[in-house]
Order: sequence, then C-alpha cells, then structure tokens
Amino acid sequence: MELTINGITQQLEVRTVGDVIAHFGLEGKPVVVEADGEIVDRERWGEAELRQGMKLELVHFVGGG
Amino acid sequence: MKTDVLRIGGRELQSRFFLGTGLFPNPYVQQEAIRASGAEVLTFAIRRINLEAPEDDSILQYLEPGAFHFLPNTSGARTADEAVRIARLARASNLSDWVKVEISANERTLLPDPVETLRATEILVKEGFTVLPYTSDDPILCKRLEEAGAAAVMPGAAPIGTGLGLLNPYNLGLIVEEANVPVIVDAGLGSAADALQAMELGAAGVLMNNPVAKAKDPARMAQAMRLAIEAGRLSYLAGRVPKKRYASASSAPEGHLLP
Repeated sequence: MELTINGITQQLEVRTVGDVIAHFGLEGKPVVVEADGEIVDRERWGEAELRQGMKLELVHFVGGG
Repeated sequence: MKTDVLRIGGRELQSRFFLGTGLFPNPYVQQEAIRASGAEVLTFAIRRINLEAPEDDSILQYLEPGAFHFLPNTSGARTADEAVRIARLARASNLSDWVKVEISANERTLLPDPVETLRATEILVKEGFTVLPYTSDDPILCKRLEEAGAAAVMPGAAPIGTGLGLLNPYNLGLIVEEANVPVIVDAGLGSAADALQAMELGAAGVLMNNPVAKAKDPARMAQAMRLAIEAGRLSYLAGRVPKKRYASASSAPEGHLLP
C-alpha cells in the first residue's frame, strides 16, 4: 500500500505498524511511531493496522542541547 | 560539609551541570566529555529516523543504560502545539517524562517565544510532564512559568550557540531572588567564567552544549565547566564580601615596626 513515512511517499507490502518497523530493521530500537498524528504505543505495533495513504513518523532521540 | 543536592521533579541530583549532546565531533569524544563533565542530566532532540541508514544517528547506543537522566527538548517547534506534539513523542519512548520546552520563532536569534512557551508549559504540566522551559531572562515570565507548574525555569544567558555569556546579570539576579523553583541558566554561555558567574548569581545549575562540544578539547572543557560550576556554587553559598570603593588593609596596622 502507499504510505508517507518520514515525509517520503512509498509503496510497501505491509499490513501493520510492526511490519513497517521490521521492513526498516528497527526491531528493538528506541523508536517512537506516530500514525496520522496519533502515537502508536509499542505494545500495539503488531496489531495496529495501516490504511492506504497514511502518514507515519518514525522518530528517535538524537544529539541536541 | 553539608550535602548540597539539587531537587527537580522528585529527583535528587548531585551535579548541577546539564550537558547537551549535540555537535560533538564523534561519539568517542562525546563519551569522554560526558564523563569529564560529571553531568547526570543529558539533553537530546527528537528527530525523524534516517530510514536510509537507521544505524547512523542513534546516539543512545553509546550511553550506559540507566546511568543518566534524559531531558529531551522540543527544538524545531515554532508553536506550543508543535512543542506539545514533540513532547508526547519523547515521552512515548518510555525513556523520560521530563521535557525541555524550546520554542523558537526567529531563525536568526532562536530566542524563545514567550507566549507559546508559557502555553506549552501549561498544557504539558496538565498532562503530567516534568516541564523545564527554556525561556527569556524575564523575571515576570519566569514567575508565570513557575505558577504554571514548571519544575524549573531555564532563562537563556544569550542566544543559543553565541557564546556571548550572561548578557543581563541583573535580570538573572532578580529571577533567582523571586524563584521558588530551581533556575537553570541555559544557552549562550561561552567559557568557564560565564558558568561561574551564573552560579555565583545563584543559579541552581547550568545547561550547556556548544561551549563544550565545539571547544578544541571538549573533554577538558567539560572538566573546566564542571569545576567552574562547583566553584560558583560554593562561592554563592559562602557569600561574597561587599564591594568597596577604597582599600582596607588585610594586615593589622598595630605593632608596625616602622615609625
């Protein structure tokens, strides 16, 4: 399905947030996911189903002051 | 000597040095500087993962788990709503419920937007965050932030990354006098002398990034800052002598051998 992830629109063979995490090899990493402006808790990644055209943000901690 | 701990949001800190984690030349130098600083609180930013190279910028992989308390910032936010969104993302990491509200409306100065900063603080306090707003060095605004429930207030010494030092020591003195929460001087410091001055004026702590990370020798500068912060704190607690216009002898005049 078509998803916009971190601002880039792309076609991915995925069904859930967990699939997206696996696709990018981010399992076990301190990642936070926002789907259409709503935070998806880590415990729900496996069951959180995606819809065509959704906007995902995958964020983490980086250096900053 | 009596113990002198800093209490913020139910936490007891031995170190009054809050260290930013941006701008270091590499993770090795950063580690060295963090160690030399003695800092217990480290600040971070929240950013998109680079999906082309997700390994590249995960800073946490270099830090000993549990050794530090994390203070994520809301840098990049221009409004209260954007800051609240970033704060929620930061908390969802389960790494910290502290947040440094940082809302800049002007790209040239990066000075904090006072109205949006107060609004974000109000919202985030209601949502249960431990809120440390980076703010203008305005005594009334700092009071308003405290009344809104800020766990500490963090007035800037000068615009972020300028290294200009404490531009308005008078205001900082007033803020400290009035405050019932810790005052952490954040942003704009350049050298150990600046950190010491802030602490002598009664700041409860100092938050720095650029002056350490961009020093020629970051670890050595981190140590210098640590010592300056400790010296400034001791000087503040000890109470300095009043300034006088004319000399007063240190050696007793009685018993002078010359006529």
